[in-house]
Amino acid sequence: MTAPRADAPAAGQAGRPGGAEAARLWPIVALASLAVLVIAAMAVTPNFLSVENLRGILRNAAIVGIVAVAMAPVTLSGSFVSLGVTQSAMAAMVGFVVLIGWGWPDWLAVGAVIAGMVAIGMVQGVLVAAGLNPVITTLAAGAILFGTVSELTGGRIVRMGPARPAWGGGEVLGIPLEILVLVLFTGAVTLLMSRSVIGRQTILVGANRATAAVSGISHARVTLVAFAVFSVGLALAGILNAAAFGEAMANSLTGLTFSVIAALLVGGIAIQGGAGSPWQAAAGAVLIAVISNMMVLNDFSPGGRLAVQGAVVVAAVVLIDQVRRRRARG
Amino acid sequence: MTTGAAGTGTAGAAGVPRLSVRGLSKRYGSIQALDAVDFELRAGEVMALLGENGAGKSTLVKVLAGLVAPDAGAVAIDGRDVDLFPSARSQAAGVAVVHQEYSLVPAMSIAENLVLGQGDAPDLWLPWRLAARARRLLEAVGLAHLDPRTRVERLSVAEMQLVEIARLLGRDARILIFDEPTAALADREIERILRVIRRLADEGRGVIYVTHRLAEVFRLADRVTVFRNGRSLPALPTAELDVAGVITMMLGRELGTMFPGHGQPAGAPVLEVEALEAPGLTAPVSLQVRAGEILGLTGQLGSGAADVVRCLAGLAPPAAGRVLLARRPVRLDSRAAALAEGLAYCSADRKRDGIFFGRPIRENLTAPWIGRVARAGLIAPAAERVAATPVAARFAVDVRRLGTPVGAMSGGNQQKVAVGKWLGAAPRVMLLDEPTRGVDVGARAEIYRRLRELCDEGMAIVVASSDTAEVFGLSDTIGTFYRGRLTELRPRAGWTEDAVVREVMHEEAPA
Repeated sequence: MTAPRADAPAAGQAGRPGGAEAARLWPIVALASLAVLVIAAMAVTPNFLSVENLRGILRNAAIVGIVAVAMAPVTLSGSFVSLGVTQSAMAAMVGFVVLIGWGWPDWLAVGAVIAGMVAIGMVQGVLVAAGLNPVITTLAAGAILFGTVSELTGGRIVRMGPARPAWGGGEVLGIPLEILVLVLFTGAVTLLMSRSVIGRQTILVGANRATAAVSGISHARVTLVAFAVFSVGLALAGILNAAAFGEAMANSLTGLTFSVIAALLVGGIAIQGGAGSPWQAAAGAVLIAVISNMMVLNDFSPGGRLAVQGAVVVAAVVLIDQVRRRRARG
Repeated sequence: MTTGAAGTGTAGAAGVPRLSVRGLSKRYGSIQALDAVDFELRAGEVMALLGENGAGKSTLVKVLAGLVAPDAGAVAIDGRDVDLFPSARSQAAGVAVVHQEYSLVPAMSIAENLVLGQGDAPDLWLPWRLAARARRLLEAVGLAHLDPRTRVERLSVAEMQLVEIARLLGRDARILIFDEPTAALADREIERILRVIRRLADEGRGVIYVTHRLAEVFRLADRVTVFRNGRSLPALPTAELDVAGVITMMLGRELGTMFPGHGQPAGAPVLEVEALEAPGLTAPVSLQVRAGEILGLTGQLGSGAADVVRCLAGLAPPAAGRVLLARRPVRLDSRAAALAEGLAYCSADRKRDGIFFGRPIRENLTAPWIGRVARAGLIAPAAERVAATPVAARFAVDVRRLGTPVGAMSGGNQQKVAVGKWLGAAPRVMLLDEPTRGVDVGARAEIYRRLRELCDEGMAIVVASSDTAEVFGLSDTIGTFYRGRLTELRPRAGWTEDAVVREVMHEEAPA
């Protein structure tokens, strides 16, 4: 993860004075609460700081983190969030399992899944750029993907069989593959947003679409690129998951949509766009994974964990709002 | 029809004004919008409220409507002190504002629109009761011939305006405020509206009439209050005034230090517009701008001056006509195309589409031309800073604050960013729409001076503004617009400031 320059995450929306300072303050608030949580976890959970456990936390955060980081450009550009995350990542996962099962070489299957997901994402991007509501567009795309995969697989589990890639669930230099991909992908997308022309334009379109239009910045181009980046992340998440498990089905990855949006919000990326950086989404995913892990080690039920996760999102959103209001008043 | 002072005092308690405002002040950031304003309205009179843009008229209207809370001062209605904020209190006190934008629901019937927003209407779900009530109100505004079941979208603009008035009458308003009610109307319809307004006043209501059209003032108003730079001048009976006198009251200030000198535009035109037809224009427009020339286009809101500029900026593609830049025809079908041709554009509404409020100044400055700084699509922060610094310096923006969000700056500094950023795109023509709206006096003079400097270096500048003083003070050539038509276009030497104002109002010179 790249450290933010002093002024980089500063942002806000017309008509929302104080948002800029709030966004600048947010990483500090997030890091402080993470620190508090880690200390609390250490106090109550004896095994928390073991290498094994920390690795488990990051592994759990990796898939959510990759997709959340990938979705950041969509959110930053002002197109809110995708409500078809689960279905899209599942389609990538099933697709990869099927291709490997057919005996395709690993590299070709990886390339094909990424290309296929980008194509699906671009169709959604075109619709959103044409003015369709992004939330509805992605929800509909998710339904179509889920329906199609269910129909084709007959609702059954598909398996890779003997061709399952050896790197699935593996490590590189002692670092689990998912974590390595998360770190590299986060770095790449963060750099893309902060140091490239298209990244800058993405954030500006999210900050004020009308001003961007007057400045000659193409909303359509920005939207297409954002959806393309998003699709690459979805494909990577699906592939990594498929390779780790060797099998997939239409009901895989349930709950991913919520987790990804939660990571984005907890990370402090402005839901209406124009403020934030992709690495914050990864930080949000890690924060949620830490909380989740603490609860697992302290014997919370899955239902209880989900409820707490929801509460964390609400708390984060309320906190952001409070900080903004106070700034606006002061 | 009553005109002049004869119409006053037909109703209401003698001596006690219907509305009295004392020492009202309101400040927005660095701008003193109202500065200890006094204002009085008698029952049964029409009081015209005049003043240039930014003089404080609309702030007074907002205070009376309960949309903003004043910083200081008192308001009394019928002799009793009242608090008008928020708007529910203002409505309860009997104040009603007819806005320029109609707040009717087009798909609903007249009768339904008339009860919109009125909670205490227990029996109005009965269609015949609803219709009866609607008929009564329609009669009051001279629309008795209309069927209350007619859907509002089928009415003419004037009829909608009258329905809007009828709606406010339904609330038993004692003080009616009209904010340029005739801006969108044709002459015959204006006559209709004015007649209704006169009658409403004669029935004992107090009417405040905000307008830029002096002819209507002399037709309708009993007295005139002029606002200037947030201060009020004492009200005068219309009968004691003439057009020239009112204009003098509205302008009445020194402009000597505000505006820089004028240029010596020479040579061939940089921008040539031939028989341009565009949205908002009712007749083809032809004009030329030379290097080193500031062309000022002025008119009332909606007169077409801003539409020409928007069209040239590529925001409203022309329906017909030719536009040449340095003798070459240019494409104006999109903003990006116009920008690529070298046409910079600074919008009238900075917050809406002029700046990125929460983003740093540096990003605001480089937004339209970041591609020029980048290499292979990548931005080097140092290179961006180096490119942004002279642009900021050029428009007197503090170069040490490039990392500050532009929204944290004063309105004047925001505007300097909104205008100045275009320099980085090295434009050939700079198009500006209301370049100093909501800007304090100091920043205003600064912006004028910098624009003149750019001009002296060979840029061509087109300014559209409804502020006639600004256009007269700044421009080398002045064009006036009235109802979508370019009515006059000639060098500044051929104008006086009064002549510009009269042309914009489309009045004849007083005899």
